[in-house]
Amino acid sequence: MLKNKAFSRQTKQGRVIKEVREHYLRDDIYCGAPYCKSCNVSSARLSASPSTILVLDTNVVLNQIDLLENPAIDNVVVLSVVLAEVKNKNIAVYNRLRALCSNSLRKFFVFSNEYHKDTYVNAMAGESPNDRNDRAIRTAAKWYQGHLESASILLITNDRENKKKAIEEGISAETIECYVKSLGQPELLDLIVQPPSEDVNMDDVEDLRPSKRKVIYSEHKPMSEITSGLLRGLLHQGKLRVNRFNPFEAYVGSESIGDEIIIYGRANMNRAFDGDIVAVELLPQEQWHEEKSLALADEDDDEEDVHLAPNSADDAPRVMNQGQTAPEEMKPSRPTGRVVGIIKRNWHSYCGSLEPMPMPAGDGGRAQALFVSKDRRIPKIRIQTRQLGNLLDKRIVVAVDSWDRLSRYPTGHYVRTIGEIGDRDTETEVVLIENDINTRPFSAQVLACLPPLPWSVSSQDLTNPIRQDLRHLRVCSVDPPGCKDIDDALHCMPLSNGNFEVGVHIADVTNFVHPGTPLDDEASQRGTSVYLVERRIDMLPKPLTEDICSLRADVERLAFSVIWEMTPDAEIISTKYTKSVIKSCAALSYVEAQARMDDSRLVDPITSDLRNLNGLAKIMRQRRIDRGALTLASAEVKFQIDTETHDPLDIGMYQIREANQMVEEFMLAANVAVAEKILKHFPPCALLRRHPSPTKEMLEPLLRTAEAVGLSLDVTSSKALADSLDRAKGDDPYFNKLIRILATRCMTQAVYFCSGDLSPPEYLHYGLASPLYTHFTSPIRRYADVIVHRLLAASLGIYKLPGVFQDRPKLTSISDNLNYRHRNAQMASRASIELHTLIFFRKRPTDTEARIVKIRSNGFIVFVPKYGIEGPVYVTSKGDNGGEWLVDEKQQKIRKLDGSASYGVLGTVRIHMEVVEPQPNRPKLQLTLV
Amino acid sequence: MMRGIQLSFSNTQKLRLEKALAQLESLSSKVNSNATVIVADTIPVDEDAALKGHGTLEMDKNVVATVCGVVERVNKLVYVRSFRARYKPEIGDIIVGRVIEVAQKRWRLEINFSQDAVLMLSSMNLPDGIQRRRTAIDELNMRSIFVESDVICAEVRGFQHDGSLHLQARSQKYGKLERGKLLKIPPYLVKRRKQHFHHLDQYGVDLIFGCNGFIWVGEHVEVKDAMLEDQVNKSDPQNTQSASLLGSSEEPTYTPLEIRQYICRIANAITVFSALGFMVNLEAVMETVTLSLSLNLGVHEMLEAEFHVRVAEQEAERRSTSTRRK
Amino acid sequence: MEYVNPEGLRLDGRRPMEMRQLRAEIGVLSRADGSASFEMGNTKVIAAVYGPREVQNRSQQMNDQALVRCEYSMANFSTGDRRRKTKADRRSTEISLVIHQTMEACILTHLMPRSQIDIYVQVLQADGGTRSACINAATLALADAGIPMRDLVTSCSAGYLNSTPLLDLNYLEDSAGGADVTVGILPKLDKVTLLQMDAKLPMDIFENVMQLAVEGCKAVESHIREILLENAKTLGNRRGV
Repeated sequence: MLKNKAFSRQTKQGRVIKEVREHYLRDDIYCGAPYCKSCNVSSARLSASPSTILVLDTNVVLNQIDLLENPAIDNVVVLSVVLAEVKNKNIAVYNRLRALCSNSLRKFFVFSNEYHKDTYVNAMAGESPNDRNDRAIRTAAKWYQGHLESASILLITNDRENKKKAIEEGISAETIECYVKSLGQPELLDLIVQPPSEDVNMDDVEDLRPSKRKVIYSEHKPMSEITSGLLRGLLHQGKLRVNRFNPFEAYVGSESIGDEIIIYGRANMNRAFDGDIVAVELLPQEQWHEEKSLALADEDDDEEDVHLAPNSADDAPRVMNQGQTAPEEMKPSRPTGRVVGIIKRNWHSYCGSLEPMPMPAGDGGRAQALFVSKDRRIPKIRIQTRQLGNLLDKRIVVAVDSWDRLSRYPTGHYVRTIGEIGDRDTETEVVLIENDINTRPFSAQVLACLPPLPWSVSSQDLTNPIRQDLRHLRVCSVDPPGCKDIDDALHCMPLSNGNFEVGVHIADVTNFVHPGTPLDDEASQRGTSVYLVERRIDMLPKPLTEDICSLRADVERLAFSVIWEMTPDAEIISTKYTKSVIKSCAALSYVEAQARMDDSRLVDPITSDLRNLNGLAKIMRQRRIDRGALTLASAEVKFQIDTETHDPLDIGMYQIREANQMVEEFMLAANVAVAEKILKHFPPCALLRRHPSPTKEMLEPLLRTAEAVGLSLDVTSSKALADSLDRAKGDDPYFNKLIRILATRCMTQAVYFCSGDLSPPEYLHYGLASPLYTHFTSPIRRYADVIVHRLLAASLGIYKLPGVFQDRPKLTSISDNLNYRHRNAQMASRASIELHTLIFFRKRPTDTEARIVKIRSNGFIVFVPKYGIEGPVYVTSKGDNGGEWLVDEKQQKIRKLDGSASYGVLGTVRIHMEVVEPQPNRPKLQLTLV
Repeated sequence: MMRGIQLSFSNTQKLRLEKALAQLESLSSKVNSNATVIVADTIPVDEDAALKGHGTLEMDKNVVATVCGVVERVNKLVYVRSFRARYKPEIGDIIVGRVIEVAQKRWRLEINFSQDAVLMLSSMNLPDGIQRRRTAIDELNMRSIFVESDVICAEVRGFQHDGSLHLQARSQKYGKLERGKLLKIPPYLVKRRKQHFHHLDQYGVDLIFGCNGFIWVGEHVEVKDAMLEDQVNKSDPQNTQSASLLGSSEEPTYTPLEIRQYICRIANAITVFSALGFMVNLEAVMETVTLSLSLNLGVHEMLEAEFHVRVAEQEAERRSTSTRRK
Repeated sequence: MEYVNPEGLRLDGRRPMEMRQLRAEIGVLSRADGSASFEMGNTKVIAAVYGPREVQNRSQQMNDQALVRCEYSMANFSTGDRRRKTKADRRSTEISLVIHQTMEACILTHLMPRSQIDIYVQVLQADGGTRSACINAATLALADAGIPMRDLVTSCSAGYLNSTPLLDLNYLEDSAGGADVTVGILPKLDKVTLLQMDAKLPMDIFENVMQLAVEGCKAVESHIREILLENAKTLGNRRGV
């Protein structure tokens, strides 16, 4: 099997190191055509009958990956030399190409030409690597031509030289444009990326606006200069993050400075996108702090939309020293810079719509259009399309191709249409795509991992020594109404000695999801279930989520239990962890549970259990608060959805009852208990959750607002903050809650991490004031809990620890993915709520009460408690620079000059809410003063 | 495979060599090649009662080889004769060795065995030839007989109780070897024969095939008549001592150039032969020498590639004629 | 890093269960009693055996068995960067010991009392799997020296990268940081004489990887046997009767 034709290749790596590597050439690499007589066809993927086989060159793959993803392009041979080149140049495109190659619906075959004895080519003296690779591609194409005589081989290349040589060598070759044209599907032409150098298409129309043909951006420095600049400390490298709420402001976290560098304005950003790795040059110190003038220099409308009130600092706009009127006491504390080069692009495809424009005269031809991304961080993108009329009212996906310095906007191409703007399904899909949420149905391999249905507890499960039979216990679950994925249940049993036995029973998901299976891989990729207003995207397939794992009433289910013995004062005497079999006797909703507890006439066993639990929970909660846990508040809202149209019928604040807090309390206790256990057994590889303490800067807006209303908050510790929040009592009942909401949004979000990556003091969960915390109680909908279940099982000696826990980098990347997915899921559900809020108000203009949370120069930002939304109210019309209004930054007040009206922060105003459509197909919610 | 020589063969020479070697291969008996075993090969034995000799080991009721070599069977005895091993002494073997140490009452000799061999002062004839107890004076005079790096010819006397190997040199034909060249070849290329001492009259050269693979090529020395010498020695022991010490001063002070050339020629013939892995014996050596002379080759030219090829061809020819004769 | 691509090929074009090309030569040194060179792909080592011979240090002499000594070294030119190495660094000492123990276990030392056997192995070119190559070369050299052995010892390594067991890691794969299992076996006796692993592996995976390495050892064995047999036949044929 081994073709013994070894030879050496020498490479130089930086220093003069000679590397000699073996390279075996084989004769068992097959062509992939099912009709081939000389090859093994077991892994053949090309079309069953001889037809045109496409061989692509590297640049075609790099530039036209969107086109390749279109099913019209098929029967393609991907050469390993192309794969290697693509991988070096753009890992994202490589991954997409790999996905195509492994997609069973597509006929993409990878041919390892570099390892085939007949298609390997040795670099000739003086030949550049590029030329050598081009030659390798031609050699492989030629080999295919000779090997599969019945099929025609077509080499697709946009490189003129390569095409010419190929034709000379007797290989048929075409440019991608010609090939696509020959397919006779004009809409495919939109997918073709126009090469920036206009190498091939000479018939392209000249740019219609010659005035724009001037240099707008400064040139990027060459890589060599950037490298030396970085070395000498003149330049700084970092990832560019654009302010979510102000696309003209970006930050580059630089390690060399140890601080963030702020970049104001598109000119200084110099064509960098969010997520790009850039090289930044610091501006001279006197130019720091000039955001205002720059921000206004761009002509884009910078109106703020109404949006959902943020829940944490991560969601909130990062507003720095908003007071431009602030006197010199505010020193320019943060360095400002400009981008001089882009080290690595983070371009991918974006969702959005075309900017409204009149139809060009000659319809059907090629038209230029501007694309506006849903993500405000992304600049407008110029695209060419032949189907302008069709696309104007659609949500579309667009990919970026290039951005030269003559053009204000980057150039891109159309990828696909999602649906009509404003349509609920379309917008929901946009939300999902924007947040990188996988909504594809589970694959057959994943579903194959499920136990056969209908599933029930078997006798093996009952006799298994690792599992305790707890079916005799009176277990019940308390969840939101309509909850189908019940992953936790409780029991409480008075003991003869006056103590209580309290058990938290969590669905035993790891009994069904085994490490290393496709099911596990899929779940680990998805990371979490996503809850949108009208739908749920599950992490695990439906049978597991809603049936096999769900701890429903009156059926036997497998569980992982944490059982405490507690004194009536809720002191934990002992903790026991065990796998178990339980039988829940009631699946209650919060409302039902609350009603039972409140109804003093009921004395049935379940109700008394609930009361006992509630009593214990209250003590535990108080103890936790005394320890310094913050009672934070968020403005969660809840929709009532029409069951048929799925349109929202009503909207209101989510009501938190004692029953919620009771369940929450025991879940927290279980999580803390498990965190302690797994960390004790696996100090280097436990998956924990931490909540970093907020920095002083992050709390700054809260302090400023509090000061304005004459409130002093102590933020030295979570305990101090909790106490001072408790003391903050205003004249109206909602005041305290409002302050808490403002405090909450100053905190960052809690994150998962691997215990080996940080030192123990950093494990702290600030909000819960707990030195250790993890997630154990929702394995059906969170993958972190699945991992923790495995760790706990291993620490009990029930199962051995899966191999992945030995691999620290892998574990870190898993926890990073979990954080990413968790965050995206949250963003998506917020976006979904925003979307439904908009739909709700479309037909219902409403007057309501709102609270001012921030004063601006031309108005203020209000928060509407009833609907949990936040948005700007303008006291002056746009363009009018607020002549008759006076802003008092220090007092956070805005006053009319004539003294007829005055608004202060946290003050109450009445507003009118209405959906308006300033531009066709662009509805937005507008808030105005009544 | 050519051990120890780095030669550059031309293409035709290579072909000729290969051809000759292939011919040799075809000549060697099938039995020989079938009997070849390597480490851990199972040796087929007919009856259970086989005696297991050298190079074998019983393992799970099988007889297994522990060395690479050829299986030999003598009656019930089964053993493996290994190639390329060090010398395995047998009593009575004539060996050539080099003195590496002069110790109390004994000399230590390197003879290509796993230990150094011991030649006791008592196991050798004294220069005066009288059988008597060795005195302290004799012991002090040991260095006058052999010193370090002297080449000696002796006979294997046997193993002592402590496992050491003892030699003896109780004959005039044994003793110090001078004016010649010592060659070391693998012991398996020397066959035990009746005669290991050869006097090549026509060249005036002595040739000693030590069983241990050490071969001596030196100027011919007449074995002195023991009685005659005795008389001389008796009359003037002082003189004899000086004669044996400075013996060369009385006799011709140097070996004639011609003989020296013959010594080298014969030595080179043996070198070539052993390099090719052929069994070394008198006839073969003589033939090779004759060949070199007939080709009019200089002594150093014998070590060149062409001569190796010639020797191989000649050996192939020789063996094929001898088998045909059979 | 992708060490096995989705087509099932490794970086050098082998499949996961394939070994590099083996090459072996016996009798490469004229002065030694036994010598051999052994190549596994670009890893090349040379071994020389001296003895059994008189024990150099009398105090170490044993009256019932032979003394086996082993010295491992790496030529300065054996790696990409020519670093001057100290003669007996910790790594060399460790590998010397490993080879010594492995070889001593198969030599019938009791047949050669009061003598000493020296094994010198030197790495001429290092591309991963030097330990295994050294052991294989030493086996050949010992057989060439005609030293009686219980069995041949052969060795091969296997690793675990990209969730795939890989046979005979080269330097690139070796330095990937995955587990590297070196196994030495006595093929005839079907016994393991050497087992080393750096990094950690779960038990079931380890068993697979080790099994793969054992298969590799057997493949090395059949190659070594072929070489030895051919060598023995040539010697016999040349010598004549």
